[in-house]
Formats: sequence, C-alpha cells, structure tokens
Amino acid sequence: MRLVALDTLAERVGLKRGQGAAEARAMCPSLDVIIDDPAADRAFLEGLADWCDRYTPLVALDGKDGLFLDITGCAHLHGGEKALVDDVLSRLFLLGIEARAVISSSAGLSWAVARYGDAAVIRPEDAERFLAPLPVAALRLPAETTALLERVGLKQVGDLLQAPRAPLARRFGPSLLLRLDQARGHEDEPLSPRLPVPSFSAERRLAEPLQEEEHILELARHLSNDVRLSLERHGEGGRLFELLLIRVDGRVFRVQAHAAVPLNDADRIAALFRERLQAVHDDLDAGYGFEILRLSVLRSERLDPAQEDFSGIPDESQPLAAFADKLCARFGSDCLTFAILAESHLPERSGGFAPLTDVAAVMEPRPVDEKACPENRPLRIFTHPELVEATAEVPEGAPRSFNWRKTQYRVARAEGPERIAAEWWIDGEDHPTRDYFRVEDQEGRRFWLFREGLYGRETSSPRWFMHGVFA
Amino acid sequence: MAEKAVQRETVLSLRETIAQIENRRLPGIVRAAKAADPAGFRRKRGEASRNKVLPLGVPELDDVLDGGLPLEGMTEIRNAETRDAGAAAGFVTALAVLCQRMKKEKGHLAPILWISQTFASREAGLPYAPGLKSYGLDIERFLFVSVRTVKDALWIAEAALSVPVFAAVILEIRGNPDCLALSESRRLHVRARTGGVPLLVFRQAGEAEASSAFFRLQIKPAFAGERPLPDGSMLCGSIGHPAFHVLVEKSRAYASADIFLEWNAHDRRFYPLEQHQSVAPPADGQPANSVDPFSASVGRSSGADSMGRLLAFARAS
Repeated sequence: MRLVALDTLAERVGLKRGQGAAEARAMCPSLDVIIDDPAADRAFLEGLADWCDRYTPLVALDGKDGLFLDITGCAHLHGGEKALVDDVLSRLFLLGIEARAVISSSAGLSWAVARYGDAAVIRPEDAERFLAPLPVAALRLPAETTALLERVGLKQVGDLLQAPRAPLARRFGPSLLLRLDQARGHEDEPLSPRLPVPSFSAERRLAEPLQEEEHILELARHLSNDVRLSLERHGEGGRLFELLLIRVDGRVFRVQAHAAVPLNDADRIAALFRERLQAVHDDLDAGYGFEILRLSVLRSERLDPAQEDFSGIPDESQPLAAFADKLCARFGSDCLTFAILAESHLPERSGGFAPLTDVAAVMEPRPVDEKACPENRPLRIFTHPELVEATAEVPEGAPRSFNWRKTQYRVARAEGPERIAAEWWIDGEDHPTRDYFRVEDQEGRRFWLFREGLYGRETSSPRWFMHGVFA
Repeated sequence: MAEKAVQRETVLSLRETIAQIENRRLPGIVRAAKAADPAGFRRKRGEASRNKVLPLGVPELDDVLDGGLPLEGMTEIRNAETRDAGAAAGFVTALAVLCQRMKKEKGHLAPILWISQTFASREAGLPYAPGLKSYGLDIERFLFVSVRTVKDALWIAEAALSVPVFAAVILEIRGNPDCLALSESRRLHVRARTGGVPLLVFRQAGEAEASSAFFRLQIKPAFAGERPLPDGSMLCGSIGHPAFHVLVEKSRAYASADIFLEWNAHDRRFYPLEQHQSVAPPADGQPANSVDPFSASVGRSSGADSMGRLLAFARAS
C-alpha cells in the first residue's frame, strides 16, 4: 500500500506521496490511513461541481482533484473577483473542504498558481511575474518531460521563459511550448463544461431557506414568469425545463420536466413541475431547506405566437398536450405511446408502440394511409410467443388439440396455414419458417398458433407457439 | 285547486331530482307530466339527454342498455378468465370504434386512450396495431399507456377524463384490486359524467363486484359464423366475423339478458348473430379440419352465473 494523497497536517510531518503505508506509519504512528476510492472521489468532485453552479454555469472538471470555473461576466454579480474567491473559499471551508482558488486570465496560470504558488487574483500583466518562480511541474507536462527538464537544470518556469523557443521545441517537443503559452495566456485553452449552458434561465437566492413543496412550486411559478419574458422576446417556447435546487448544506438537486409542445406559459410550466415534484417526492430531501432555485430552459423550439380567435374555441391539441405533459412528468417521457405500423412480414415486427412525440399529429386529419394491412390479425399479441404442446397432422396439418398454460384445448375449426418466412436480412438464413393457423376451440375462443419450422426440411420435431388471441 | 297543483309540482320536481341522483330514466308519471309540458321549456333538455347514448344497432342489447352505450359515465366490461380476454378485448375495441366513428361524424378526430396495467397486458397480450386496424380502429388516433400499479392507472384515468379530447377511455385492470372499490369507481364515474367522456372499465379475469358503473357486461367467447362466399352461401369450416356472448349482469332491465353478437369490421357495426347465420355443427360433408361435433351456440345455459360471495350489502337506510 502506498500513499496517494495527503492532507496539510500529514505534509507538515514530512510524509510524501508514493511512500509505503507501513513506512509512513513508522514515521507517524497516529497516522489515519483511508483506502483510496476513486469512484467516490469522482462523485464528490461532481457534487462540488454541481454546487459551483451557483457561481457560473460553466464548470469543468479538471483531473481528479480540480475544477475550472469560467467566470467571464459573472464576477460582478458576486461583488468582484476578490470577493468571489473569498466567498468560494469561506463557503467550502464551512463545508469542511480545504481548497485553494486562483482567478487569472488563463486556465493554465490558475492551475499552476493554485497548486504551486500563492495568490488570489492575478491581473493579466502580472502573469509572467507570478509564473517565473514556479517549478516546471506547474506547467501540466507529462512526467518524463518534467524529469528531463529538471535533469538539464531548467528547474523553474522562469528559466524556460528566458530561453530561445526554437531549441526548446526541438529538444522537448511542441507540447512544452503549448503549455507555456497557455499558462502565459498567449494560447487559448477551451474548457469543456460538464453541462450544456441553458439558453434561458432565471434564478432566485433566498435569505430564508425554503422547505415546503408548496413554496417551491410558488417560487417556480415566479421564475417561470421571468423565463417566459425572455422566451417571448426570442419567439421561442421551451421543450425541456430544469429546476435546480441548491440545499443549504451544498447538496444540489436537478429536476427536469419535458413538455409535449413548446411552452411559454408560466402556469403550464409551473404545472409541469407540480407533477414532477410529486413523482420525485421521496428523492427530494429538503433537509434544512433550499437556498437557491434556478429555472433553466435546456431545449427550446420556435413557437409562433397564435392569436386566439373570437369564438374562443381553443386549439384542440392544447388539452391533449397538457394531458401528455402531466403524464410524462409523472411517469417518464416514454409512458404515453401511440400505435405504429412497420413494413415487415413478421407479426411481432409489423406493429408496436412508440413514445408520443408529436401531439398535434394525433389531432390533425391526415391522408388515410391505405397500405395493405393483412387481414386476420389478432387483437392482442404476446410479445414473446408462448410454447404450447400441440398435436397436429404431419407434415403441414392444423393442430387438433393443444396444451396452453396447463389447459387442454380441442380445436373445433382451423384456418391456415399462412406461411411467413423469416426475414433473412435480419435473422440470418437458417431461421425457421412459420406456419400460422387461426383456430377456434370448442368453446368459441379464437387463437393464433404457429408451427416453427417446416416439417422434414427444416426440422423433424417442430415446436408450436401461441402468438395471439382473436376477438 | 291552486294549492293542489303546487303540491303536485313539488312532488314531480322531487321525483325528478331523485331520478337524476339515481341516474334513472324518469318515472312514468313525471315523464307524462313533462310530455304534457305545453310551453316546451324542458324539451331541449330531454333531447340532450337522449343524445348521450350511442345506439349499438342491436335492438335487443339497446333495450337492455336503455338505448345504447352511455356516452357520459362508466360502463364495466369483464370476463371471467384470462383466456377469454380476446373476446372481451374485441367487444371493448368495437365499442371504441363506434365512439370514434360517432365523434368523426360530428367533425372531431378524437383519439382513444387505452390505459393498461402492465401485468394485465402481459398476461393477456398487448394490443396489436395491425389487428386493431383491420378491426376498424383509426390507429393513428390510438394512445396506449401501460403502468405498473392500479393506483397509477386510476390516476391516469382520472386525468384523462378531465380533458375533453378522448372519444373513449379504456381502463384495463386485472382481477378485483382493493384500490378500485366502490368509492373509487364512484369517483371515476362522476368524473366521466362531468367530463362527458365514456369510460370503459375492462376488468380482466375478475369477479362481479359492486361498482358505480351504469352497466356491467360479462363477455364470453362465442362461435363465430362462417365466411360468406360471393354467391351467398357460406364457406364450410371457415371462421368468420368475431362473435361475442354478452351477459348483461347489471342493468335496469328486469331480467338479465343473454345476447349473441357479431362484429362486422367492414361495416363497423354489430349484428345479432342469429340474423346472419347461427352456427350449427356441419352435419354432413365434414370439412377436413373439423374434428369433433360441437354444441350449437343456441340453447346454452343463459343468465348470469350464480355468485359465490356477498360483495356489498344493501343500504340499510
């Protein structure tokens, strides 16, 4: 066992990373060793990244132990850069997290100074002054490059800043100069934020935390009113909304709600969350209350403002859309389905259900699709055909009797066979052919049975299956 | 004299109120008095109430159902065993087709909503789109929801009944769950009446249970007729249009009825089975596939099965 991370106290005792745990215990008997759990570290870092959403929507993860926050245009909301850093650090301290933070004009410089230097805010013109005394490890280089640099005596970044560029590139490769330029801010370094930035959002910070669901909903309605204004200005309606709730102790909850049609109506947006909050009720632990609520529009579509006519008859797809929203908010977006027909001969492929996406299409008249739909198809079908024991004439006769779900049925009448060959382009060439029979038993129940495989050619003991029931 | 007339008017209005509460047709004396209404103030309302049923086209069944399927309120359709679910589903779908067609004639394209308990649709099979289409349903306007619990299904049904878009709402449940008892069914029934949407409760493999539905029909399988040939004769040994044996278990009619129907998907209407051709076992010229002679559908035991357990007491007061 080796040490992978140390806290300040352990560093002060003189322990090093990579040291054996037994050796470290010998140096410091009261050492508290915790087994490394990268997954938990990662989850914790992501939780922190969520929490940082309160400062800026652009939060990127950096390796195992860092976060980048792009605060362009956000600092003034928190009283300036210095105040922002102090706020972050003091809040994290209260949460029991030891952190270091630096604001500078480039991600590389912030990374270097936060880990190896000591500063809070670095102005662009001071970049090189702060960078020069740092060790070359601060440049985020591969370990072998760093070792090589140190062997030739280039120990500080300042040494590299003085040196001519062309020989450096020849000797150490282009990545060194790239990292150097990134740290100086000469080269742009894009951050990839964890989450997409919402196009519209509204936020409320509360002095007194909220606990009651009613209050959350009321506030969500206010927020949707704010969002509505900006949606209206752009002529758009939201399809996917997210309510972000930050709890007093830093835990972050995200509640998403889909809308069946583009929405820009405050009451209907709030109604989405009413259903959604009831559905996630148990997962949403209010604890000591939520202090920040933010409503964002993650996906929006063009919404042409429709003028209501004087007759006052509302658009017929509106109530259906509201119903679909209510359902999807509670049971998930694929709960409400509509029937589809597919071009396939195999019964289980030719019909099915798909989640309803276009509500308006259900209400609109469409040219009748007179595709030849085979007659004599059952009303209900088993997703997985059920094996039955049947007695039938060989080779191709209809079943005389069969045993389905532990009950014996005697066939009174039968129609068939309807031969359906396998779709070789999907199932492969050796998939057996099916012979379907429509049978009526002695009490008048009508079933759809099939024999798998042609007797003699494909199989010698064909199996029979129950595939559906007729009316 | 005048006092007597006032009293009479009071009694009549009270009877009318009672009839409305009980959801009954007006008793004879009130109806006579209303028919005599010279100014015709109430005529419009009477007509409106007549419009709220959908005649099924089979006089025998329509008589028992007071004119047809009630378009505002709950009707229960049940079958005794899972293996009969095909017949019951066929009857329910046929009612849905009729509701949809009626709406279409009025100029509304209205979807059908089928809410199913996942367990129910797994046991008896999922509705199958090509089958529904050949059955006469407009499947572009067929919405299907499958949920795990009965409670969720009830919630969806209630939400669906309060939006005036559906031609019919079908609620398919399995057995006799506790959470769909008398009070819940009352609630759904009232919701369906105010929403003006027919609610068809399809109870799969369930026992007869007291509920607030207008009518409860039990569907049993019945022998289908044979396919007609172009020259008018019947194709021996073939299986023709879907047929049902409808047992009216709860209705306002005096006796429980036993009706045989068949559904003609092409005409999109019911026919009494006898009218076409009642199936008799082919006495001579046995077709190759027919193995055993079977009893004719006529002359079977009629009437509802005797019930084994007491489901609800009569109201004491």
